[in-house]
Amino acid sequence: MTAAAPEPKVNMGQPVPRYDAAAKVTGRATYASDMPLDNPAFAFLVTSAIAKGRIDGFDLDDAKRVRGVIDIVTHENAPKLKESKLFSNGGYAGTTIQPLKSADIAHDGQIIAVVVAESYEAAREAANRVKVSYTATAPSATFDSPGTTTAAAKGQSAQFKEDPEVGDFAKAFDTAEVKLTASYETPTQHHNPMELFSTSCVWMGDNLVIYEGSQFVYGLKNGVAEQLGIDADKVRVVNPYVGGGFGSRGSMTPRTAIIAGIAKRLNRPIKLVPTRDQGFTITTHRAETRHEIKLGASRDGKLLALRHEGAEVSSRPDAYCVGGTKTTARLYACPNVASLVSIVRADRNTPGFMRSPPEVPYLFALESAMDELAVKLNMDPVELRRINDTTNEPIGGKPYSSRSLMACFDEAAKAFGWAQRSPQPKSMSDGEWLIGYGCAATCYPTQMAPSAARVRLQRDGRTRVEIAGHEIGTGAYTVIAQTATERLGVPLEKVAVFMGDSDLPPAPVAGGSNSTASTCSAVMMVCDQIRQRLFKAVMPDSLTDKAKETVGISQAPATQAAKSDRPLDIEKAFNALGVGVVEEYGEWKPEGAPLDSFKAMHSGQVRIVGGHAMKDQIAYAFGAEFVEVRINRFTHEIRCPRLVGAFAGGRIMNPRTARSQLMGGLIWGMSSALLEATEIDERNARYVNDNLADYLVPVNADVPGVEVIMLSEQDDHINPAGVKGLGELANVGTNAAICNAIHHATGQRIRKLPVRLENIEV
Amino acid sequence: MPDKSSSKQSAFDRRAFMAGAAGSALVPITARAAAEEARAPVAQDPSLPVDVTLRVNGKDKRLSIDARTTVLDALRDHLKLTGSKKGCDHGQCGACTVLIDDRRVVSCLTLALAAEGQEITTIEGLATDDRLHPMQQAFVDNDAFQCGYCTPGQIMSAVACVKEGHAGSEADIREYMSGNICRCAAYPNIVAAVKQAAPEIMKG
Repeated sequence: MTAAAPEPKVNMGQPVPRYDAAAKVTGRATYASDMPLDNPAFAFLVTSAIAKGRIDGFDLDDAKRVRGVIDIVTHENAPKLKESKLFSNGGYAGTTIQPLKSADIAHDGQIIAVVVAESYEAAREAANRVKVSYTATAPSATFDSPGTTTAAAKGQSAQFKEDPEVGDFAKAFDTAEVKLTASYETPTQHHNPMELFSTSCVWMGDNLVIYEGSQFVYGLKNGVAEQLGIDADKVRVVNPYVGGGFGSRGSMTPRTAIIAGIAKRLNRPIKLVPTRDQGFTITTHRAETRHEIKLGASRDGKLLALRHEGAEVSSRPDAYCVGGTKTTARLYACPNVASLVSIVRADRNTPGFMRSPPEVPYLFALESAMDELAVKLNMDPVELRRINDTTNEPIGGKPYSSRSLMACFDEAAKAFGWAQRSPQPKSMSDGEWLIGYGCAATCYPTQMAPSAARVRLQRDGRTRVEIAGHEIGTGAYTVIAQTATERLGVPLEKVAVFMGDSDLPPAPVAGGSNSTASTCSAVMMVCDQIRQRLFKAVMPDSLTDKAKETVGISQAPATQAAKSDRPLDIEKAFNALGVGVVEEYGEWKPEGAPLDSFKAMHSGQVRIVGGHAMKDQIAYAFGAEFVEVRINRFTHEIRCPRLVGAFAGGRIMNPRTARSQLMGGLIWGMSSALLEATEIDERNARYVNDNLADYLVPVNADVPGVEVIMLSEQDDHINPAGVKGLGELANVGTNAAICNAIHHATGQRIRKLPVRLENIEV
Repeated sequence: MPDKSSSKQSAFDRRAFMAGAAGSALVPITARAAAEEARAPVAQDPSLPVDVTLRVNGKDKRLSIDARTTVLDALRDHLKLTGSKKGCDHGQCGACTVLIDDRRVVSCLTLALAAEGQEITTIEGLATDDRLHPMQQAFVDNDAFQCGYCTPGQIMSAVACVKEGHAGSEADIREYMSGNICRCAAYPNIVAAVKQAAPEIMKG
């Protein structure tokens, strides 16, 4: 067994290789822009050179002279599209800024024209020959820019219902023996999945097929149908493979309906492959944030008062916010908590989900502050977490369904060698390298959403699972195949999984780490429906209540057997049934899901439940992360030779795919501390490093040592699959752990990300 | 760039094309500044189709394409070999890596015309007789990918990395595989895969 396939512990599935491994290593896996099209025309976008103002006019003569140009679409001749509301307001869109609707410009890089030509080369050349005259006004770029407005998130954002609070923060903070007040900042970031934001649209009569990498095919299908004013049944979104999502493909962007509309008008398949730099402005981003944390504690380290104030930048029309105080207010035992989230409106595109949207910025603040408090208390930061560990969240007093935070700290500390740390800053070095050890907690809400599935079992054991889930790199095909294998007792190689197609039974958005819990719970349920039919054929279901009581069961034998782990004799059952194929469809919804869940599921509306919003409990996955940083005392170069994380996420469906996801998460976390930031030219409200050379993401040489430890954890209170979700757990807290390690190495506390060598003062 | 022009390009003046294409090569950077002045006039209309024969995975492929077509777009849009991926079109990410005469090359920055007469190997040409190449098998064994979009480029790069003699240590592998970005960050597994496959590839 390789390191990539860890031995399963209790409540873990088998580390089987990925279902889609062969397709992915041979180039046979087809992503959106790989789909064969019959005689396509190629589209190339023209985007705005100003962030605020109006288009006065276009000079298209030069562009039209390029051989092969078919059409140039601007707001003056664009297909008429209906508006779509923001996903959080009952719509599908990630932004309500609709390009090509008028001459108005709302943000830099907004789509202002689409050139369509016979070849990609001609479209690109003509796009560059489009001349635009603007009347520009001074834009407001970000925090502190003149012209921005700031208001509390509560009351204006459908995503943010309340600022969590409990007790009397002001009084408790006033009288606390030890106090800390500190401010933190995190930068704008862009997902930059490897696959570009391609869209191909093909009409067949009144029916539209869209090939686009999406994390939510039902949302995209319904959203585009709404914008085009056609029946959603006429739209199909296909993407069997998605080249990374990280949140960027969760909600609909304006480009899709635009391309669909042009394809309809030209009566020709259209292929759009936007450039990497266009991807920075035609989709969403992680907004920059600011925080102030106040902590009051007793001398022995007990938290008595906690206040977290956060501010986030959004666009003029949309009150997008992540509001991570819902998590930071509940992470530790503390009787007096206050919080406030504000939204700053600027002349930017609407931000959106990016891997662990609330937790990455908000836990950076809290977990940095906890380390600062430990230093003030002269206490080991792990012990400070232990003292403030809790079984119930402090705001509503609800119990955590399970919480392995300190077990994670202990396992990771042991593997890391935390005991060898000398606590004093600047006390460890190796030649010209200052060494620092740091740690932080991570957590992520356990979330679920309604999902459907169809499963077909043949007499020879061949099984077909259909679900409109999404393979964005998480291992979705693999864990769904494993679920069917486990419930039906058929060999893995006989299971075929079909996903990434909105003609299949609906699955939720692949976001909020809800996919495995939701889709596997649905597939389990439908497999059990098949088991029940088969058991009914071979087991008497006609026992009277009296007889059931005698044999000590509450349900009919077939029902009982279907839900148990009792093996199924498929051959015998098929003989008894006298059929060749058994097929079942089912719709599953998590406990606490709203009444309209199934209707919403079919119309592409998100109904995620879980986390802190559950009725009688609160459900989170936990982890602890330890890092070593090395800082060159002469050049100030920062290296991160070791990242160690221990995680508990309920049932681990496949330790191989889980480890990979957590490992990638840890590297993302390192990146959010040391590399990633989209730099804004504040005069022009424009991104200046909008490419993969200047927007720094980790490369292989950046990550020498990563160790992932998965704890065995069983939680029967969350969902039938017992899964908490891992996709967004590991990249939370890492940024704080690194800054805490930098403090240990240098004595310097850095509160603004990313940390670059010019920020180090040794 | 080695000049291996052949008689098939009789209708095409490479020098004139290069002079004219200097402007369009800047296109991705200035696309948003469309209000800028038009570029210098094109010396020879590059959109006139040019005949070219590419040798891909051991087979000659005849194409009539826009002279500005890159190897990547020729493979993807004209030869239906979509294994090589477009991740940046700037030579920054490595997703489009192919082998040209056994050298690893970012095919998005290589014009198809410039690759004529050379041996192009893509991810589709690596496996033989339904048997995975040792590097492909090593990527499977070590779970060296997640979304899979960068994987064809990583594998082509990894094969060359080994043959260049740059797979002698983990540090070497990390350094010489750093031209290929994996946003899912499967990096430690990629290093393990290259390490596993190296001896078998060196054996031949």
